[in-house]
Amino acid sequence: MRWATRAGVHIDRSACAWLIVRHLDPQAQFVFVSGPDEVPDDATAFDMRGAELGHHGSDCTFETILRRYDLADPVLWRIAAIVHEADLEDDHYDAPEAAGFDLILRALALAHTDKEVLSMTAPIFDAVYGYIRRSVIAGGNPA
Amino acid sequence: MGRLVLQWYRNRGYMVFMVDSVPAPGEWVFLTYRLPRVPSAPRLALWRKFKRLGVAQLADGLVALPADVRTREHLEWAAEEIEEAGGTAGVWVARPSTRALERSVIEPMNEARAGEYAEIARQAQLARDAAEPERTRGLRRLRAQMRRVERRDFFRPPQREQARQALKDLAGQELVAPMEVSS
Repeated sequence: MRWATRAGVHIDRSACAWLIVRHLDPQAQFVFVSGPDEVPDDATAFDMRGAELGHHGSDCTFETILRRYDLADPVLWRIAAIVHEADLEDDHYDAPEAAGFDLILRALALAHTDKEVLSMTAPIFDAVYGYIRRSVIAGGNPA
Repeated sequence: MGRLVLQWYRNRGYMVFMVDSVPAPGEWVFLTYRLPRVPSAPRLALWRKFKRLGVAQLADGLVALPADVRTREHLEWAAEEIEEAGGTAGVWVARPSTRALERSVIEPMNEARAGEYAEIARQAQLARDAAEPERTRGLRRLRAQMRRVERRDFFRPPQREQARQALKDLAGQELVAPMEVSS
C-alpha cells in the first residue's frame, strides 16, 4: 500500500512511518508531497491537514494512528509521549527526551532526503522500542 | 539567516560560529480564524496555544508569527483544531508593506519576551540566596521556563542574555559562555 505525507519529515512523520511499517503495513511505500492536493488516489495520507490520520484535538498524528488502529501497547504510548512533546512542545507529557529527539530529527532533515531520514530513524525507533519495553518489564532503566 | 559571532573560550581561543537563524526578513505566517463563542473550551485551548507560541494578535481573528517551517506547521495545526471545533480558519504567508509596520508588530512581541526574561533573571537572583536543595530545584525550574520562553522568542531582546547569565550564576558556572545549540 502507498502512504503519502508532507515532504520535509520531522519527528511525528518519521515516527508514524515507522509505526505504519511495524504495525499496519510491512510493505508500506511512502510518497512525499507538498500538500493534500498532491496525494495520489491510491495512497493513504497522514500528518496532513484534513487527513483522517492527522492531528485531532490535542493528539499528534502518532497518537491519532494509535487510537484509530487500537494499538494499546504501553510501550508505543510512551514513545507517543516523546513524539508529542517533540512535535507540539505543549508540556502535555513529561518527556525530557523530546528535546534530544527534536534536535536529531532536525539535523537529519537538514542533511538527508526524506527517504534517507526514514531509513535512518526506523532502527532508532526499533531500538528505543526495545529499550522502553525492557524498562517497562523491569520497572526501571535497563542500562 | 544566521549571524556570525566571535566568542573567546579560555581553553580553545577564539571560535567563530553561527548563532540561531532569524527568520527571513519580512515574511510572516498569518492565521485568520472565526470560532463560535460557545462552547468556550476550544477558545480557551486556542488562547493557551497562542500564548505558548508567542503570537502577535493583529486583530480579532488574526494572529501572526515570523514565517519558518515550524511556525507554519504550528499555525496549520491550529487551523485544523479550529475547524474541528466548528470554526473556519486559513493560513497565509504575507509580507508587511513597510518596515515601520513590521516594527510595530515586533516591538510588542519583544516587550512581552523581555518581561518574561526579566522575571527569570529576578527569580534566579532570589534563588541564589536559597539553601540546597531549593537552589537546585529552582535552577531546574527556571531552566525549563527559559527553554519555553526561548521557543517563542523570535527576535532575541537583550534581556535574554541577562536571563542566561543569571541562570549561569545560579548554577555557579564560570562567566565564560559555553557554546550552545538551540533550535
